[in-house]
Amino acid sequence: MTANFLIGLREGLEATLIVVLLMAYLTKSGRRALLPRLWAGVGIAVAVSVGFGALLTFGPRGLTFEAQEAIGGGLSIVAVGLVTWMVFWMARTARTLGSELRSRVDGVADGAAWGLVLVAALAVGREGLETALFLWAAAQASGESGTPLSGALLGLAVAAGLGYLLHRGVLKVNLSRFFTWTGVALVVIAGGVLAYGVHDLQEAGILPGLHSLAFDVSAAVPPSSWYGTLLKGTLNFSPATTWLEATAWVLYAVPVMFCYLRANFRRRLRPAAETPAATAAIAS
Amino acid sequence: MPGLTSPKTRRTAGARLAVVAATAVLPLALASCTDNANANATGATDGPIQVTSTDTECKVSAAVAPSGNLTFAVKNDGAEVTEFYVLAEDGLRIVAEVENIGPGITRNLVLTAPAGKYTTACKPGMQGDGIRADFTVKDSGKQATADADHQKLVDTGVTQYTAYVKDQTEQLVAGTREFAAAYAAGDAAKAKSLYAATRMHWERIEPVAESFGDLDPKLDAREADLEPGQKWTGWHRAEKDLFPPAGYKALTAAERSAISKQLVADTGELSTRTRTVELSADKLGNGAKELLDEVARGKVTGEEEIWSHTDLWDFQANVDGARIAFENLKPALEQKDAALAKDLDAKFSALQAELKTHAKGDGFAYYNELSKDEVQQLSALVDALGEPLSKLTAAVVL
Ligand SMILES: [Cu+2]
Repeated sequence: MTANFLIGLREGLEATLIVVLLMAYLTKSGRRALLPRLWAGVGIAVAVSVGFGALLTFGPRGLTFEAQEAIGGGLSIVAVGLVTWMVFWMARTARTLGSELRSRVDGVADGAAWGLVLVAALAVGREGLETALFLWAAAQASGESGTPLSGALLGLAVAAGLGYLLHRGVLKVNLSRFFTWTGVALVVIAGGVLAYGVHDLQEAGILPGLHSLAFDVSAAVPPSSWYGTLLKGTLNFSPATTWLEATAWVLYAVPVMFCYLRANFRRRLRPAAETPAATAAIAS
Repeated sequence: MPGLTSPKTRRTAGARLAVVAATAVLPLALASCTDNANANATGATDGPIQVTSTDTECKVSAAVAPSGNLTFAVKNDGAEVTEFYVLAEDGLRIVAEVENIGPGITRNLVLTAPAGKYTTACKPGMQGDGIRADFTVKDSGKQATADADHQKLVDTGVTQYTAYVKDQTEQLVAGTREFAAAYAAGDAAKAKSLYAATRMHWERIEPVAESFGDLDPKLDAREADLEPGQKWTGWHRAEKDLFPPAGYKALTAAERSAISKQLVADTGELSTRTRTVELSADKLGNGAKELLDEVARGKVTGEEEIWSHTDLWDFQANVDGARIAFENLKPALEQKDAALAKDLDAKFSALQAELKTHAKGDGFAYYNELSKDEVQQLSALVDALGEPLSKLTAAVVL
């Protein structure tokens, strides 16, 4: 029961965190109207995953292991690209937020419509197929024993609940900090997703170096423990990390974070007159 | 990256990303389906192989299966989340895996496996090497993969040999520690009994070890080969002390301890360096030839182990190392020059058969017990093998 719960929790967090942060961003920047696009992306991903999962479990054809890993890893890497693009899009639109260019900003948001749907679909979809396969297996097993499916579903529910709490909590943060921190959080999470994608491709034999470990702290942070689960679920932290994963993480997170923070500091240095206007726009 | 572009450009960027993502993933998904093995289907084999994973055990219902599509139904009967892996023979390359098998859950792993040796592993708790077992896939006549392109075969061979080197180095490090401890403690009987067997791990991977020019003389220099002023350390220093010639003055306990420490330290250094050594097909091929030359130069003459006379252990180890390198390259060689592969197979077997006639218990006869004819016979077989072996590298690489 506990173990299945932890699987649901971890996969749920992996899938929802990016969506939750983007949701908070849209709410906070007064673009709630775009929320349905995010949900559409989530819906598509869930439907496709569950459908494919059922097909692969009960249908006549299965997916090879390489294909599963390549899809998971490939989607992860594409998701990182899109999330990065979103983060900078956010930084950019936040800058013009509440200014007289409002109409133009909405134009920008329209342009990002596809992007929002895709980011949501990829963030959920990259973990979706694996989770759906697990859930179908659990559903089959629950015919015998009952508990595995409920444990996994409970884990997913708790992940959703944690996501909701985070969403609420983030909404309370002061506006200028909010923009910085969601962006920072997204960059860190995206770095983890990238590393995870690299690991998947290493397992599939598409990338080399699966056995050259940069560090292995699985004795201190067992993957099956609750804290291991949380670290994996939120940051995609793997206790046994290969050199290639670690390198990918650093090569991604460091320059992107630098560019992102620089973009933010420039925004902060702009005339202070923009900030009250921005707050007013949110309050409205 | 920030900077204002027109909304129009941005819209196209979003749409383009969507197209790129879709085109990247779709064909991949379509191209990589495999048949779900169905137990009820006509002509199917005996249904899925049952795997039961508990927190301490990994029961696989069959250890042998016919090539083609295999299904493992992996049931988790333990309390922890488990994973199931099918690994290549080297125990490193993942052929297929299924993760996230929660307690009480059965998940299927479907794979297309060509004939060969594999390792299965359950990993309860998702960490460590897992509970492993050997698994064999026999040729069922149905050729599972047509993707036997040459480079892939070569790469697989090199990966396998790299794993072999790693394995031998690890055994060498462990064995050397044990030997050095016994030798330093003055337990000559135990040290003597460990001497030849431990050195075999060194001799099997000698071409790799010799590629570190500074370590080889430190570990394996013979007294006769010492340069003026060179400090004599390593295996043969200990050998002379353990198998002393007449009139030899034994080393003091302090000297023995120093030699032991140095031997362990240098072997550790060797092990660290082999971790990052980059092997390639030509290094395998040339290494195999070097090993055989080594036999012809040092072992056949009985010079290598001049005091212990355990040359046949080294002989066997050199042949082992050469044969493993050849066998790892064999699938690639068979594509290019099947006749050469066959010839090498036959000559390795002949030499091995002759060596076996000198086996005694776990080891071999001492070299000074061999007759002149017997040495002559071994030497002839080494020469016969050396000739085709010198063609191996060119045949595989070119
Ligand atoms: Cu996952």
